[in-house]
Amino acid sequence: MKISTRGRYGLRLLVDIAEHAEDDPIALSVVAKRQKLSEKYLQQVALLLTRGGFLTSVKGSGGGYLLKEKPDQIMIYDVLDLLEGSITFEEESDGENAIEEVLRLHFYRPLDEQVKRAFAGLTLADVTHAAWFTYMI
Amino acid sequence: MQTLVYLATCKENCSIRKISEATGISSGYLEQLMIPLRRAGLVEADRGVFGGYRLGRTGITCQDVLIASEGVFRPAPCKECQKNGLCKTHQIWSLLQTAVSDFSKEVLIEDLAAHLVDRGTGGGI
Repeated sequence: MKISTRGRYGLRLLVDIAEHAEDDPIALSVVAKRQKLSEKYLQQVALLLTRGGFLTSVKGSGGGYLLKEKPDQIMIYDVLDLLEGSITFEEESDGENAIEEVLRLHFYRPLDEQVKRAFAGLTLADVTHAAWFTYMI
Repeated sequence: MQTLVYLATCKENCSIRKISEATGISSGYLEQLMIPLRRAGLVEADRGVFGGYRLGRTGITCQDVLIASEGVFRPAPCKECQKNGLCKTHQIWSLLQTAVSDFSKEVLIEDLAAHLVDRGTGGGI
């Protein structure tokens, strides 16, 4: 499993908006400059995050994006799950052999559960607050 | 991973052909997979009539196999990123990386092989 550009940019977009959120929506051009990311690409990611219920789009001049919920209500695991399609190692394939099945049931599936547990309760607010990641290192 | 699990169910040396039949992986590709596994000491090979592959030692974990064949798991290409210390999302990838490595170093190839043997589908037994 590799996290795609979409997953990485999407999270940086959310973190940026969470850190700079006032009452006014934030334009993607501003985020693009601040994060040194392509604005075109951010537009695609923002659309996905809006459809997924993490962002709200405000049209018109002075328009841009706002977080749909408070950062402490946005679960990182859910964001990644949306951006990546899924963040699991387990893949079911047609005609898998006995060894593949054992690996899937006894390694990849419990591994996915472990990842889910590791992310349980981790919110966007935790990521934007330094307190969380100092004890990670 | 499949190869190692299969070898763990075999009592004697296993030919590439036999491993290929059990795993469905082509012989040519198996030969390639064996190179880093041998280098890491996870498999050993004998030449000759009774030649073939066997596990290099006991107590091999899934992490050993993954590192030998794919390198250290890095969910995001942050190694080259200069903002490592500043980027907050980097910590998310560290969390993911730690979760995966902590789990995969606890799972033994032998234990996975035992599941295969339980079903009577192991090789060479």
